[in-house]
Amino acid sequence: MYAQAFFVAIFGLAAIGFGVWVFRTSSMVRSALALLFSQTAVGCMFLAMQTEFLGVLQIMMMATEMSIMAIFMVMFMMDPGGLGGMDMTHQKRFSIGAGVIAGGVAIAVALLADWGPVTPQAPDAAMQTRELGMELLGRSMLIFETAGITILTAMIAATAVAIPVQTLANGGDKEDSE
Amino acid sequence: MTAVLIVALVTGAILFGIGVYGALSQTNLVMIMMGVELILAGALVNLVAFWRFLHPESYSGQMFVLVVMTVMAVEMAVGFGVAIARFRAKGSVEMEEAGDLKG
Repeated sequence: MYAQAFFVAIFGLAAIGFGVWVFRTSSMVRSALALLFSQTAVGCMFLAMQTEFLGVLQIMMMATEMSIMAIFMVMFMMDPGGLGGMDMTHQKRFSIGAGVIAGGVAIAVALLADWGPVTPQAPDAAMQTRELGMELLGRSMLIFETAGITILTAMIAATAVAIPVQTLANGGDKEDSE
Repeated sequence: MTAVLIVALVTGAILFGIGVYGALSQTNLVMIMMGVELILAGALVNLVAFWRFLHPESYSGQMFVLVVMTVMAVEMAVGFGVAIARFRAKGSVEMEEAGDLKG
């Protein structure tokens, strides 16, 4: 139990530390890597909380997602290496205030609420995976299918938005209309 | 055992706060998306902690985590689609230069 508390706290601190680093560094690539480490630490927290399947899923998904994000950073940023030391923030005071209030309220709820009795033992990993599969293909099948359709729709929509608009003019000559 | 739950919930709350700061303070679209990712990561930590320590017998909690992960993936896909379209049209994804998107 103490080991679990220790590892949850350590990975939680790592997730917070890397989360802060995301917005502290002027290099966008480092920001993407910091977010990758933060999300990986969150995945490790899941593992420490004996949620093995979701932990591994989180780490694998975020590794892919953040690698793509780093590539986009290099593509789109004027100064991806951060060598120019550009300030890319605005409304700093308001943002800090909003962040502190949002986090503070959530912490107050976490500390002050009566969460009731805590279950000491989690189901083992094999049982969890089996029961989650039964849940996905049973009671929650509609939600699961909806999530799949939503991802497919988002992929098609994102591709459609990203493709340059072309108009056929002058007997079939393609012309960009940016 | 309650201490572990509190540690996880506080971690989730702090990640949420950092994400709110990032989403509001950054001028670059991809950095704003990073803030949103941190907000959702905070929500994920809370959901897993609630499932593990309060209702491990009900797998709807894990299902909820999968739904939030789906939202993260969808947000990334649509966000990058919009970023590509914006970059192609204006040569930048800086939100300071996106005043023309106002109605």
